[in-house]
Amino acid sequence: MKYTPILPENNDNISHESPVKELFILSAGIIGIVIGIYVALGFAVNWIVPHISLETEKKMAALFSGVTGKGEDTSPRAKHIQALCDRFQKSCAKIPYEVNIHIIENEIANAIALPGGNILLCSGLLEKMGSENELAYVLLHEFGHFSNRDHLKGFGRSLVFVAISAALFGPDSTVGNLIAGSIGISETGFSRVQETDADEFGIEGLQCAYGHVNGATDFFEKMSKAEDPHIFGNYFSTHPETLKRIEHIKAYARENGFDLKEKKPLPDQFKKISESD
Amino acid sequence: MEQLIILIALITLGYVAGSITEKRHYRSLEAREKALVNLPAVNFKQLPVDPAIVRKSEMVVGNTVIAVDYFKRILAGLRNVFGGKVKSYESLLDRARREAILRMKENAKGAAIIINVRLETSTIGKSSKNQNATSIEAMAYGTALIIGEQ
Repeated sequence: MKYTPILPENNDNISHESPVKELFILSAGIIGIVIGIYVALGFAVNWIVPHISLETEKKMAALFSGVTGKGEDTSPRAKHIQALCDRFQKSCAKIPYEVNIHIIENEIANAIALPGGNILLCSGLLEKMGSENELAYVLLHEFGHFSNRDHLKGFGRSLVFVAISAALFGPDSTVGNLIAGSIGISETGFSRVQETDADEFGIEGLQCAYGHVNGATDFFEKMSKAEDPHIFGNYFSTHPETLKRIEHIKAYARENGFDLKEKKPLPDQFKKISESD
Repeated sequence: MEQLIILIALITLGYVAGSITEKRHYRSLEAREKALVNLPAVNFKQLPVDPAIVRKSEMVVGNTVIAVDYFKRILAGLRNVFGGKVKSYESLLDRARREAILRMKENAKGAAIIINVRLETSTIGKSSKNQNATSIEAMAYGTALIIGEQ
């Protein structure tokens, strides 16, 4: 046997394609799949949510009892607002929920609709209220979300997403956490369409309850003029395009011939309480 | 957002540093292989020569550990979702094996031939939490035959 010392001309054990190109192709593939699932999920959730019964939703409400506290909120302010809500529910805003008001001490001016008919009002919001009409509009707006079952749609989507990314990448991966985080941020608020629909529900309810719609845009106008971004900054992350909404509310009121009459002030009982708190 | 920026920075660093290291290593491998081309390393189990002329025989071992850079790891992670050739690891293993064989040859100075050469690769630093390997080890061992007068 003769040994001929030669070296191979090419290295056949490696691939010569650019790894950067491969990175872009694979990343684009993953992103495409994620977006595809997101869109499909949107359709699926919108189809399923109307079929979720109220009993199931009440069970889900139990998950939030840690935030709302068990049972009813019995503070005087909450009782007064609860009375307002009950009045609305009887005549103007017929929604199939038993609305429960809970007030939490929080500087941020926000109101949240939770499954089961619970409305969480931040004390920061209540302090900004200038008239009963303004408060009524905020409440009726939340009623609108309940009527469209918006709160269930956002909740369902983000949950499925976290589950999918956990299955694909493992529970503790960098890429998986990134995806879950970005979905979480995009689902904190209701979509623009959902907000607009809730606005329309709110203004119709206001017209029905008071005979006019003065006070509907007061809250939004205060928010857009706010000079201190620290307290209201969080508001804007969940409620973008406030100015567009003000315009839409005014236009809707004009189209439907709603009046602007004198606003009803908040009762003394309410003011005294908020001053002493 | 910061997480994304850190991720991109690490990937870029991994790619740049990894490419430089890899090119340098390949140049070194080619130069040394050229120099040692006259020492054959074969995997025959039996002696290809008459045993009478073998003066000395000893086992020679070449060993190396090479780390995976972040870029290759991310690419392999993405590949694991879709399947197919993990091209980013191919050059890694190629370099490790060739380096191991060269070191084995360098340990067999004066030998005429190295027979019964075997290669073993394994991963080092693979923890259960992080599924991708942090470095790989390649080992080449064989029997060096020194031929000459007794």
